[in-house]
Amino acid sequence: MPDGYLLQNVRAAWRVYDGEAVIISPEDSTLHTLNPVGTLIWEAADGHSTLDAIVTRVCQTFAVDHATAARDAAAFVDSLCQRGLLTVVDTPPPAA
Amino acid sequence: MDELTLEIGGLRSAIVTRHPEVADVIARRYRGFLTSAPAHWWIEAEVRPEGLVALDDVVVRPTGGARRLEVERHDFLATLDLDERTGTLWLGAIDHIAIDTFLRVAYSLALLPAGALLVHAASLSRAGRAWMFPGPSGSGKTTLTRLSADADLLSDEISIVRLDSDGPRCYGSPFWGDLARPGENHAVPMAAIHFLRHADRHAVVPLGAREALTVLLPNVLFFATGPALVARVLEVAAELTARVPCFTLGFRPEPSVWEVIAVA
Repeated sequence: MPDGYLLQNVRAAWRVYDGEAVIISPEDSTLHTLNPVGTLIWEAADGHSTLDAIVTRVCQTFAVDHATAARDAAAFVDSLCQRGLLTVVDTPPPAA
Repeated sequence: MDELTLEIGGLRSAIVTRHPEVADVIARRYRGFLTSAPAHWWIEAEVRPEGLVALDDVVVRPTGGARRLEVERHDFLATLDLDERTGTLWLGAIDHIAIDTFLRVAYSLALLPAGALLVHAASLSRAGRAWMFPGPSGSGKTTLTRLSADADLLSDEISIVRLDSDGPRCYGSPFWGDLARPGENHAVPMAAIHFLRHADRHAVVPLGAREALTVLLPNVLFFATGPALVARVLEVAAELTARVPCFTLGFRPEPSVWEVIAVA
């Protein structure tokens, strides 16, 4: 599981319908749709939450054990990072 | 100098050129979309007889900021300033194909602030209401328009939908496909959006807002660059799919398809 804080690409355009996010990549205008677990992770990626803290929220919201959630969330975060939608930062960004 | 003003999707652009042959192509190709009303946009059209770079697809890139764009293909090079509402067009070939391609890109961007999208879709009006039928090539857009003899054609290829103050409306479009004829130049309140698919029987299935948005977006002409323009495309598409009933439409190529379209 990556250390650090998850941060959305602020250039991405997105909205959530019934707990499921629709995201457009800013660089190539690719459309991405997320399931409810992915949407929870995406919405929590505010630069002030670690993946471990977000996984704890996933376990509280969905019926899943921590080890499974951590493994799946790490793979999901890696996928979004490769698509340029998320970054993992060492320190939280200053408040706006 | 010749000056011709086009009104497409409710937005007027004046095209100024010192080349009579360019003016002649525009006057003939967009005959039903000419107006004498004042223009919102100004575009200067020039000719570059030495030819341009070999790019088959349109390339749109920011130049000096996200709202100043360069548009290029093998047969034209253009700039668009979205704030100044001005553009320049250098044509490598004086034909309606180069001009039409440029105008599709230009209008997809220029109409965004007004809440309008250009959509890869056929559109038809009947009894004062408009239906739009998005779908990729081969999905049945032209077939459906040919089955609709009692409907007015708004477009067989690139439709224009706009969130007007009195509700979403579909505008007649000069951007044609296989039919090679423009739509009727008027705006009609939207009745529904039907996403086409081939089937062995007519079937209409309602779509939720999220599903409708995700199937609409791949059909939107999307040359926007920069987060603000991309966000605007998403905003307009989301509002459109929230306000207009959306369906998938499976159909056999028979005129009776309107029996299921009109009642959905």
